[in-house]
Amino acid sequence: MISKTIALKVLNIATATGADFAEIYLEETLSNSISLENGQVEASSSNLSYGAGIRLLNKLQSVYGYTNDISLKGLSALAESLSKSFKGPRAVKVETIKKVRVKDLHPIERPLYEVPTEEKIALLKDASRIIQSHDSRIVRVQTVMMDNFKKVVIFNSNGKEFHDKRARGRMAMIALAAENGKIESTFEGPGAQAGFEFFTRDIDYKAKALEVAKSAIRMLHADECPSGKMPVVIGNGFGGVIFHEACGHPLEATSVAKKLSVFTDKVGQQIANPVVTAIDDGTIPNAWGSGNIDDEGNPTQKNVLIKDGILKQYLVDDFNGRRMGVKGNGATRRQSYKYEPTSRMSNTYIDAGKSTPEEIIAATKFGLYAKSLGGGSVNPSTGDFNFAVNEAYMIRDGKVAEPVKGATLIGNGADILQKIDMVANDLLRAQGMCGSVSGSIPVDVGQPTLRVSEITVGGRGGSING
Amino acid sequence: MANYSKYFALAKEKGIEALELYVSKKYALSFSLFHGEVDSYSLEDAQSLSARGIYKGKIGYATTEKLDKSAPDFVVSQVIDNAKAVDKDDPAIIFPGSPKYRRANVYNPDIRNLSVDKKLANLYEIEKKLKDADPRISEVEAVSYSESDGEVELINSYGLRLKSKSNYFYYYASVMVRDGEATRTAYKIHLSKDVNDFVIDDFVKEIVDEALGKIGATSIPSKKYPVVLAPRVAASLLEAYLSGASAEEVQKKSSLLAGKLHQLVASKKLTVTESPLTKNAFFRYFDDEGVATYNKPIINKGMLETYFYNLLTAHKDGVKTTGNGYRGGGGKIGTHYINVSVKPGRKSLDEIIAKVKEGVLIKEVQGLHSGLNAQSGNFSLQASGFLIEGGKISRPVNLITVAGNLKDLFLDVSEVGNDSELQLSSFNSPSMLIKKLAISGQ
Repeated sequence: MISKTIALKVLNIATATGADFAEIYLEETLSNSISLENGQVEASSSNLSYGAGIRLLNKLQSVYGYTNDISLKGLSALAESLSKSFKGPRAVKVETIKKVRVKDLHPIERPLYEVPTEEKIALLKDASRIIQSHDSRIVRVQTVMMDNFKKVVIFNSNGKEFHDKRARGRMAMIALAAENGKIESTFEGPGAQAGFEFFTRDIDYKAKALEVAKSAIRMLHADECPSGKMPVVIGNGFGGVIFHEACGHPLEATSVAKKLSVFTDKVGQQIANPVVTAIDDGTIPNAWGSGNIDDEGNPTQKNVLIKDGILKQYLVDDFNGRRMGVKGNGATRRQSYKYEPTSRMSNTYIDAGKSTPEEIIAATKFGLYAKSLGGGSVNPSTGDFNFAVNEAYMIRDGKVAEPVKGATLIGNGADILQKIDMVANDLLRAQGMCGSVSGSIPVDVGQPTLRVSEITVGGRGGSING
Repeated sequence: MANYSKYFALAKEKGIEALELYVSKKYALSFSLFHGEVDSYSLEDAQSLSARGIYKGKIGYATTEKLDKSAPDFVVSQVIDNAKAVDKDDPAIIFPGSPKYRRANVYNPDIRNLSVDKKLANLYEIEKKLKDADPRISEVEAVSYSESDGEVELINSYGLRLKSKSNYFYYYASVMVRDGEATRTAYKIHLSKDVNDFVIDDFVKEIVDEALGKIGATSIPSKKYPVVLAPRVAASLLEAYLSGASAEEVQKKSSLLAGKLHQLVASKKLTVTESPLTKNAFFRYFDDEGVATYNKPIINKGMLETYFYNLLTAHKDGVKTTGNGYRGGGGKIGTHYINVSVKPGRKSLDEIIAKVKEGVLIKEVQGLHSGLNAQSGNFSLQASGFLIEGGKISRPVNLITVAGNLKDLFLDVSEVGNDSELQLSSFNSPSMLIKKLAISGQ
């Protein structure tokens, strides 16, 4: 997007007043979205995002700015304006820039930006038809396909240049069921860092569409979930959002570096039940949250965060790593050039255990089976989290009983990690978007079916205590 | 004034029947302190151009931030390709213009003119005062300042050209207090466009009081309680409830307010208006389709007076647009509301609390994006606040959930306070007393 010569000039302007590190992050992203309502194409749009972010570091200070004007003039003006934050003598001079080879871990067969629109529409219409024809109580169906192709170039004052290409696609299926004034909606959103083959070969979108429809109808007739403290068995796949919210965010250097996290200074300590091993792996081929390199240019890694209940490491970016006295571990991410990068999750999951899902249910006399979860949030300083349950059933005498709806699980991350007492062998990952300081980024969450011995369930169906 | 004639000429040449360009520019500056040093400083300068055009009777959308020579080609070809993909029979409308616009200059140059040193000095003062306020404050997590200028311009092939510019600034601070093994946090945002109305001591006191008030927070037994919603919480829930007043949601059968026009949708204590022409940071005199905005009642003594319309949804219902067409994701026109406010009542928060024998004051809720379904109105949200006993606040409460249905909640409002507070969402609500809500805790 810009030449080495321009990059060299801009980096040296940026470091003229004492910054010990400078970085230019350039991005061009073409996104497309096609949305269908009840099987008809309602809108199609294209979006070209384009610009550069410049970051200067000086010890523990960071300065960041961005612009759409990536000409020498535009970038120089931004670099100069940012450099005014520092008032020292030059500490770094960039003499040469060398391109670092970036290995492509995510081969793509049919890039979505090349697939004819008609093919995408045909698939979306088919999914819509499957959902709509399942039951006459399904009154609204939305099917959407979003894809983006991002070209990233990074130059930094260590004399390095990185080029990366990232192509992602995701499909959304939403079913809305209504009866007697009651409305329920359900959602599925499979996605990958892959091409059209992901939708036509790797996943069974027809089965997923049918499940969306069935789930909406089931929830229409579900009772309200009772409230109170009880054992909760959390289903595999998107159930991993519990770990993502309750433990993943507080393990990011973003809050650990300033000692603001509940898990600060806990490396080597038992922070979870010994059945828990948790991993963040940005290298999984074609996974939604993967990358070749992170947004500082470091190769992505498989980072074991918790091993048999013991905290092994945090997710670290190079800048926050300065406060912590460690190097980044390939976990630096941002939504776009409009965001200063920081440590974030990629594909985060609790590893498979030894029980079977059936054994876990059978071992639970009374409780909630939270089959599928919605989103949630956490305060990383206190560790308090909440998340919504989309589809749930009561467990009575070791068996899955009647469906219930409207449940929210709340608790504290440090506490919940100790209370995970059974972990099954059916690990599955699911896709989501994670919002935090450096914007909204694609991530996988994941886990096998597992049990939390006690958690507060909020619902409208009266207290279980009477 | 930028020249957009190339876009219109090329569009015409390629067979686009009508074209609308929407150009937005943003400038923002922010910086923050940690332990007495500036730890971050950021500068934003960006613009984007969104287009929609009618091609063979269908609307196509394109947005770009790459505003070089290639932009007109990109925009025109994408508008055509995207219009071709549409097969739904919606009428394609681009607006020639309203007869009259209530233009006003709400841009305040004082915000940018105030020196960075003065703004920084405010941050140092806030941090020091927060730290010194009480020994139980263990950390000042963040103290930051942001200012933002936004400009939008709408130009279409009917010759309509409208421009609006506004700005605001805000201070943010958040603190931690130790509470035995646990940690409590509190934060506050002060948003304004008047540099003179920021009083540091008041700002600091509110955060400190809130943080210290949380010490010793515990859960409470699960049951139904009368609940007082603090302004921040009432505004968030009202925003979710009124998302169902969007005509698009009603037409697509996904609103709990469908079929409720001119019926009671809230307690008679509630009167709600939308006032886009209020001259604050959110002021808009035209919407993103070029329609003149106007102030209007939404709920009058509990009665739903209107739905919110854009050009397309108004056409479908055979009514006039209410000037609520605003761009959402992908530049597509959706529905959005500006400056929605609840008419304040006469009682103060203390007077409302005095009416409650045993209840809960909810100061914060979490998980609005996941624990609340605006379509069904059902919610179950993590909450914190205070237990009320004998008409007085007795102790702090946390890790509870509050659950219910939005329609029932707003029908159950029995008091509206006199303590309005403008939120970042532009919603403005006082405290509200709700007869009963399900709380789950222990």
